[in-house]
Amino acid sequence: MSQTCDVDPALLEKLEAFRFAKRSKGNATIICKINKEGLLIVEEHDQDNLSIDALAHLLPDNTPRYIVLSYELKHDDGRQSFPLVFLYYSPNGVKPEFNVLYASAKTYFQNKVGLGKVFDLQDSDDLTDAWLRAKLLK
Amino acid sequence: MSDSPIVNEFNQGPISCHAFNGDRTELAICFNTNVVSIFRKSGASWTQTSTLVEHDKPVTSIDWAPKSNRIVTCSQDRNAYVWTLDGASHQWKPTLVLLRINRAATFVRWSPEEDKFAVASGSRCISVCYFEEDNDWWVGKHIKKPIRSTVLSIDWHPNNVLLAAGCADMKARVFSAFIKGIDKKPAPSPWGEKLPFNTLCGEFSNGAGGWIHGVAFSPSGESLVFTGHDSTITVVSPGTGDIQSIRAPYLPYLSVIWLNENQIVAAGHDCAPHLFELKGQQWAFSASLDAAVKKADVGFTARDTFRRMDSRAQSTTSTDTEVHTHHQNTINSIRSFSGTPEHVEQFSTSAIDGKLIIWNADSISRGLGNLHL
Repeated sequence: MSQTCDVDPALLEKLEAFRFAKRSKGNATIICKINKEGLLIVEEHDQDNLSIDALAHLLPDNTPRYIVLSYELKHDDGRQSFPLVFLYYSPNGVKPEFNVLYASAKTYFQNKVGLGKVFDLQDSDDLTDAWLRAKLLK
Repeated sequence: MSDSPIVNEFNQGPISCHAFNGDRTELAICFNTNVVSIFRKSGASWTQTSTLVEHDKPVTSIDWAPKSNRIVTCSQDRNAYVWTLDGASHQWKPTLVLLRINRAATFVRWSPEEDKFAVASGSRCISVCYFEEDNDWWVGKHIKKPIRSTVLSIDWHPNNVLLAAGCADMKARVFSAFIKGIDKKPAPSPWGEKLPFNTLCGEFSNGAGGWIHGVAFSPSGESLVFTGHDSTITVVSPGTGDIQSIRAPYLPYLSVIWLNENQIVAAGHDCAPHLFELKGQQWAFSASLDAAVKKADVGFTARDTFRRMDSRAQSTTSTDTEVHTHHQNTINSIRSFSGTPEHVEQFSTSAIDGKLIIWNADSISRGLGNLHL
């Protein structure tokens, strides 16, 4: 399958490590963006132990982002799991050029990293614990 | 400078909106069509130099930024275009701005610093648009809460952050349109201190209720005037907590400007500009600025008579339907023409009769002793 962008090898390694990291508490996230010049998907932010609200604040208003999130999920029956979530953040009012660029590379990135759970996000205000729980426990 | 108002008749249909450029040598005007015409002053008259063709539906509002020489137009087709003059070809090049509204745009104004503009719309929101250099793209942010109906008019505060909006839900509101990255923190004002985007700094209504057609901040920004469809003019000064509502025994006003801190001119369905003055602490109606038209001002030739009949769709020459003011139909827009915001010397009005008239504010205040209604 052809692709528009490449993934930065350093980022790939980081994502592997991220996926298999042993977690006991808290959320961790890696936010990725596309470098228009090299058409390369690179890492923008990497943060451990942050709240979902803090993550929402990190998101820019005007360009899409790929978010890989390890979310601390407390199930109703008391279990705790740390699912790996891929969020495709694309706010309204973005230049269509960007929308197309990010959308075209989305599936490629998804497959490369091996992520199953994908959710779309239109507005950074929507990103809350309640929203994530609803999506994951459906 | 002559004392009598300068009447410009275009005979191209009713004027829906107009805007002059910075030095008043050019005029952008829309005759209730999808097209905006640009005229250039040549002697005493105006010659058409170009047309801005891009909108699919009637253009509702135009604004011309005096310093950066950019025109913004908005239309019922839910779009706004920013036009920049291409130096080499002297052509106006449009840039589409995605407003993300699902109803017509009704009104647009550049901010005082000309780095943003606000578009009022029928989708119960105001779109504040600014240019993002990195993305080479105009981005619009919406002011939605708590607007419940179409926003009819907008005025910017001199500090480039506060925005007044007159709405069909019968309320005049003041919002903060602070954009991070574009605006610096504004000085504290009587309207509020910490002002993130979409903060409601004030919500006012007039007495009997009625759509708020026009809003205007005073030159200092300390006060706000708004006119309602219940024929009232209300002046609000949050600093002193003073709210004065003047009920004028005339038809409603559609548009209003400040001549200086003590004088307001409003115009609307009565087809003439009316002056309101602050006497002591009280605002009151002073006079109509349009005395009955002396017949000498209006053209006497047969050609002029028939042209007037045509613009009013008359089939006989009877003058029963002639109104004794310069404008023969509702004035829908009044804008300052010359002078500073603190002391407006001339202002222009455009009306549904297809005329654009430039009035002198000075001669009016001099002759006020004699005028009364």
